[in-house]
Amino acid sequence: MSSERQKHPLTDTTEPNLIEDTFTYDLPPLIKFVKQPVIEIIDGQPVEFDFNSVKTRDIFVTDTTFRDGQQARPPYLVDQMVRIYDLLARLGGPNGTIRQTEFFLYTKNDREALDRCRGLGHRYPECTGWIRAEEGDFRLVKEAGLQETGILTSSSDYHIFHKLKFKSRKECMENYCEIVDAAFDAGVRPRCHLEDLTRADIHGFVLPFVDRLQEMSMAVPENMKVKIRLCDTMGFGIHYPNAELPRSIPKLIYKLNRECGVPSDRLEWHGHNDFHRVFSNASTAWLYGCDAFNGTLFGYGERTGNPPIEGALMEYIALKGDLCGIDTTVITELAEYMTSIGFPISEHYPFVGKDFNTTRAGIHASGLRSDERIYNIMDTTKLLNRPPKVAITDKSGADGITHWVNEFFGLTGRDRVNKIKIHKLARWVMDQYEKEGRLTAISDEEMENKTRELIPDLWETHHTQ
Amino acid sequence: MATVEERVKAVTGQLLGIDPATIKNEDKFTIDLGAESIQSIELVAMFEEEFGIEMEEEAALAVDSIGKAVDFITKVCKDQGVDV
Repeated sequence: MSSERQKHPLTDTTEPNLIEDTFTYDLPPLIKFVKQPVIEIIDGQPVEFDFNSVKTRDIFVTDTTFRDGQQARPPYLVDQMVRIYDLLARLGGPNGTIRQTEFFLYTKNDREALDRCRGLGHRYPECTGWIRAEEGDFRLVKEAGLQETGILTSSSDYHIFHKLKFKSRKECMENYCEIVDAAFDAGVRPRCHLEDLTRADIHGFVLPFVDRLQEMSMAVPENMKVKIRLCDTMGFGIHYPNAELPRSIPKLIYKLNRECGVPSDRLEWHGHNDFHRVFSNASTAWLYGCDAFNGTLFGYGERTGNPPIEGALMEYIALKGDLCGIDTTVITELAEYMTSIGFPISEHYPFVGKDFNTTRAGIHASGLRSDERIYNIMDTTKLLNRPPKVAITDKSGADGITHWVNEFFGLTGRDRVNKIKIHKLARWVMDQYEKEGRLTAISDEEMENKTRELIPDLWETHHTQ
Repeated sequence: MATVEERVKAVTGQLLGIDPATIKNEDKFTIDLGAESIQSIELVAMFEEEFGIEMEEEAALAVDSIGKAVDFITKVCKDQGVDV
């Protein structure tokens, strides 16, 4: 490895280099990789991975908002599920970037929601089921007319011995394989959820089990072959190079994909956020060979949640360099709808939180005022119907207040007012904190009222409501 | 009629609470006279009102002393046809 120090001469220029081939602004910043392969040491040998292949691979998103997402909140009403499903279809677009979504099938409401969602006639997301690993449950799947269902096939000894109380791994594997056979017999494609995979004995149980599933799949047509969901049930997965099994995501995928021969389109990563790794882990799985990124809207799921699918779509666009039919503005519609039905979204949550593109510092507002790209991550007006905003506090300064006024009146180009025109409003804001001892941010409503009072000319000219 | 210099000093003294007679041409608004950021903006707005002119924001806020303000305002008045 070269570690010699080098001189780095300044490249002087009077023209800024804004690196616009990456920071295009009309899309999320593009993710680009160097041409060389990524190396992971597996079983003592260097193994190459080509991250650039993600540009051409058919990677996609699968949704579990109605399954894992619903394990973290009171049940959705049927009408709510239908509305969310309809929005998911618009969000993912006609190319099926959101390829599938899974449903519980146990209650009357579960089945009614499924029927009504399918009744909308969307091709994507395809509705799939989720059942326990019990043979009788396939009746539910078959009656619902689903082509595919997830089944629990827990893989760690924590689950095998302590939760499911099997006497041996062999007994466990035989039981799972009977369930898979039952799925085949019912004409339903099984998607085996390797629960607690990142705590499992990979060589002692997981790989032999997946080998067996591969053998069983040889006897069925392509559209019935077993899919594998890699479940990082407790969020233990690690995406760093050269981490050890069972926590290493690159190694887990390599073992299943290349050693067991499960093709990428039958591999899916499902994570949890217990150690704040959930999104990077799922994206990493995409890069190393899992085609399916499983997540929920706004990451809402059991305990700490799952990878957020709206984030996955932004990542997808950044990797592909194109919107690919995804309607990102629906993310905002979904957030508004979820909020309206009592779903809490943090004010600082990326892409949808009330303040995700709101700046409070005056110096940042000054940047926004001169070129919004300076402090806005991308064209959030176009992509999310969310123009960058400035929240007014004692830190806003005249620049922040000017930005607020211009945004409030929708002033652009030569119509935008400068700091001098809003000085009375700026003085009022400063006095709120310096003389009145105020400690809270100033609301839009207060600003609106004061603008009308202190800058009546501007109000008369530009206020339209 | 008061000169531009006298009017600039009067407006500055009024806003910053300083006796105009003590203000010198070489005084800088922030360092010598203690103008805060918002007061610099208020000064520009008050000069506009006093002289009946409109000043370009960046150029006006870049003026840092009484003497330079007198020159700048004189020029703007001339450009905008305002007698001073």
